[in-house]
Amino acid sequence: MLTIGKFKKMVARAGREVGAREKEFSRLDAEAGGDGDHGTAIVAAFRAMQTVEGADFKSYLKSLSEALQSSACGSTSTLYGSWLEGMGEAVGEAVMELDAEGVAAMFSGGLEEIGFVTRAREGHKTLMDALIPATRVLSEAVKNADAGIAFSAAAEAAEAGAMATCAMQAKYGRAKNLGERSIGPRDAGAASMACIFNAFAHEAKLN
Amino acid sequence: MPMKKFINDPQNLTAELLEGLEICFSNKIRIVSDKIVCRANPKSDDKVAVITLGGAGHEPALSGFVGEGMLDASVVGDIFAAPGAPKVLEALRMFKREAGIILVTLNHAGDRMSAGKALRDAAKEGIKVVEIVTSEDISAGIDADPEDRRGLAGCVPLYKVLGAAAEKGMGIDEIVELGERFNRQMATLAVAMTGCTHPQNGDPVAVLPDDEMEIGMGQHGEAGGGRSKILTADETAKRMIEQLIKATDVNSGDNVMLLINGVGATTLMEQLIVYRAASKILAERGIVLTDGWCGEMLTVQEMAGFQMILCKLDADHIELLKAPAAAPYWSA
Repeated sequence: MLTIGKFKKMVARAGREVGAREKEFSRLDAEAGGDGDHGTAIVAAFRAMQTVEGADFKSYLKSLSEALQSSACGSTSTLYGSWLEGMGEAVGEAVMELDAEGVAAMFSGGLEEIGFVTRAREGHKTLMDALIPATRVLSEAVKNADAGIAFSAAAEAAEAGAMATCAMQAKYGRAKNLGERSIGPRDAGAASMACIFNAFAHEAKLN
Repeated sequence: MPMKKFINDPQNLTAELLEGLEICFSNKIRIVSDKIVCRANPKSDDKVAVITLGGAGHEPALSGFVGEGMLDASVVGDIFAAPGAPKVLEALRMFKREAGIILVTLNHAGDRMSAGKALRDAAKEGIKVVEIVTSEDISAGIDADPEDRRGLAGCVPLYKVLGAAAEKGMGIDEIVELGERFNRQMATLAVAMTGCTHPQNGDPVAVLPDDEMEIGMGQHGEAGGGRSKILTADETAKRMIEQLIKATDVNSGDNVMLLINGVGATTLMEQLIVYRAASKILAERGIVLTDGWCGEMLTVQEMAGFQMILCKLDADHIELLKAPAAAPYWSA
């Protein structure tokens, strides 16, 4: 279903697509009452992961997580670092190709670990609004579809979740201090998470 | 509007400012492992270590308060960004001791996440560490859940109290008790008149109309409480100190410490005028101003505004605040 080679290409593509939208993510962060550096932070996170190697899922994810958390700073690195760490912990040793169950377990493990470091859940106007539905949809979709179709469904769910944050009032992160004035713009973290799932889907669809 | 700052490569800001701090204050601090600022003359292992963590771009905070009688170390992230959990864990390992470590975390999402992860791993390794979280900002309301309140410049006098107690050789339980009591008894309000630019990307943070100010703005310029037309120094001071008196529940005869923290572009002249106005209101109510400070402690680049911090003091706090300290930006 998903080989380590394909997954590495997905991560690289996510880095490129996020990089192309750096300014947009920083602007969204500032508009929603944050400190206006989400674009900078997420691009720095992917830069830190650029040269990471690893022959199998577990070692690759572990290295990604370590590279991210040790060289990048801020909540972005801790959140994404935890996500990748949890994904790595959920796959077996020396696995080079995951079946449907393995993909679902990997993304569920990521969600579980990120849920440990943040109290934010759906409806709080954070990246969780994109990640939670994307993980849910992916875990279901992989049972009956190939990786391309499953990641496309997950990307649609992430995008819908990110768009839904426009109407939400922030409950976590710096944007929460804005109260009702945080309603309107999309959450920057949800937008970049949706961008990542979109990139995963674009790459997964290629042969 | 182009960014007007004396900088080089925006990616190297933190490394370069720490290099400058270390060279300028080589008798007081030294940098270990890139981003951990430690005392040049560490105190003995039988005493409790006091450590903090946080982003850069807020100078002199937080690393300017590392020194004798204050912090043993500060773990630095990047501009406005918390250090990663592995860096915090590295510092905790470095200061592992029987006496224990107190980790002071300002209540901001990134700092709490890194600290939380590092504390979980430290516990697995048998490192004795107690976390104190500051959340003294009252802009979310006096009765707001502490989890929803931010940690502002009130961490600085707390570092002083904890550092002095640790220097005296007090036990960790006793220090945590008096530190948490100090923490509960302080309150901060911030006011901003202009926003600032993020020094790494040049983008504006917290834009305010020319004729308005905002009480309740955080230390990254993130917007907070109510906006109003610009008031005079006396009117602003009155509006803020009255809320702080209410929040700390100080009454006639109580001892307090009053601090004004300039956040970047507001002059010391303005800060002193505000300090005078606030202290007069305290005096009118019979509240005893035992200790104080006015100047820049925790800044937000070129943002104009200040934070007003009021701490209700007990006898032990008064004594600890007066104890000797020799940090780059705090001495007593």
